[in-house]
Amino acid sequence: MSAVDIEVAGLAKRFGQVEAVHDVTFTAKAGQVTGFIGANGAGKSTTLRMLVGLTAPDRGSAEFGGTPYRDLVDPSGTVGAVLDIAGAHPSMTAVGHLRTYAALGGHAPARVDEVITLTGLEPYAHRRIRGFSTGMRQRLALATALLGDPDVLVLDEPSNGLDPAGIMWLRLFIRRFADAGGTVLISSHVLAELEQVVDGVVLIERGRVLWSGSRAQLAEQGGLEAMYFQLATIGELA
Amino acid sequence: MSRLIRGELTRLASTRLPLWTVLLAVASGGTMTALLGFIDPDQSNPPMPGLDTAEGVGVVLGINAMLLFVPALIGTIAVTSEYRHRTIGTTFLAAPHRGAVLSAKLLVYGLLGVVYGVLTSGAAGLAVSGAAAARGILLGTGPAELAMLLAGLAVAAAVYMVIGVAIGALAGNQLIAVGIVLGYFYFLEPLLMIVPGVNAVHPFLPGGATSALMGSTFLADALASELSGLAAPTISAGLGAGLLLAYAVVAAVAAVAVPLRRDLR
Repeated sequence: MSAVDIEVAGLAKRFGQVEAVHDVTFTAKAGQVTGFIGANGAGKSTTLRMLVGLTAPDRGSAEFGGTPYRDLVDPSGTVGAVLDIAGAHPSMTAVGHLRTYAALGGHAPARVDEVITLTGLEPYAHRRIRGFSTGMRQRLALATALLGDPDVLVLDEPSNGLDPAGIMWLRLFIRRFADAGGTVLISSHVLAELEQVVDGVVLIERGRVLWSGSRAQLAEQGGLEAMYFQLATIGELA
Repeated sequence: MSRLIRGELTRLASTRLPLWTVLLAVASGGTMTALLGFIDPDQSNPPMPGLDTAEGVGVVLGINAMLLFVPALIGTIAVTSEYRHRTIGTTFLAAPHRGAVLSAKLLVYGLLGVVYGVLTSGAAGLAVSGAAAARGILLGTGPAELAMLLAGLAVAAAVYMVIGVAIGALAGNQLIAVGIVLGYFYFLEPLLMIVPGVNAVHPFLPGGATSALMGSTFLADALASELSGLAAPTISAGLGAGLLLAYAVVAAVAAVAVPLRRDLR
């Protein structure tokens, strides 16, 4: 796995009257899990979509090892992204879905079976997606993101719909991925869920970065929850 | 580009759309043509020319021009299902150059349109020959002339599928796109065909161009003279074919250019 940092500088996006993201700047380092934490509607999903070029920013830049997503030689082989808008055609089987995206991304067909094993989708591989639970869809989205054996994972609330065993598995998975040298940027509105797994934290509120730093610095401030509420209160007063 | 085409072909093969395409092509081309082929022309109102005349064959095969909303809808539904089922984001992640993605889709569905066209005109050809044989009538067109009419139908079907894909790509929303396709076929174009004065443009619209290509302007003429007392203007089959292809090109260019900057939310 090659070391690919995520560098976000001055990203901004406005939807009509709503300033969804305002001057968001942070770095997610290779070999680390970076938590991107904020309440619903704080601007997490919009930022992540701008990162991978699905939404065009009004200002600012987002780069993977110095290259914007669109200009990467092998985009889905460099970055695997699971966004909140990841869907699947209900009449396709999991295998059909994965084959389609392996072909589109230019990845070896053999990767389909590998990611199915990796994400524990074997029992559902040949079933139509119509009958999938939210958790199974989430696993399928992760399997799709892993098709290109990427160096970077961008995950938007990936534990939504996962059962406790699934959440445990996901934590272990991203920890191993980062320990192997990969870059993980993972968003969540559930603070406790990420505290045990992240190396760094970026707190976002109303489209602005409130605080960012390492897990050690966070511990000095009394942990994620204390920090979050402290900052959120300051935000309310400001 | 070849990887995107392979991807779209894989997607197509992973759904039931190819099966539906074959079934609909054969059913729409065969049944309506056969039905009309068996009607005794003297019993119809307005009276139709019989199958023993070239005009009569044109009218019977011309019913297929009214069924071209089927390939258009197949194209529209195929491309908008990416928005409806929220897979378009994943597609653009695998291939961030959106213009290339849309081009690959247009190419693949153009190809599916040709398959649809060949099947539907094959079924229509069999149906009209079968109806004539069953009624003991000699078809009013020779084999070469009949083949030309059927080739026109096949081209029109492929063009309509491409236009359908383009409308789907432009609208994004599946319901709106289907509404546009059906609204155009069942409301706007028939309306433009009968309004005096305005019907001068009808031959240059996709439906009118299709009629010209298939030599089935009889219905338009009959309707126009019945309602306005004026003969509807007509264009040559060659111009009709050229116009149809031009519509496909314009639709394809718009479909590739417009969604490029669209934010996915």
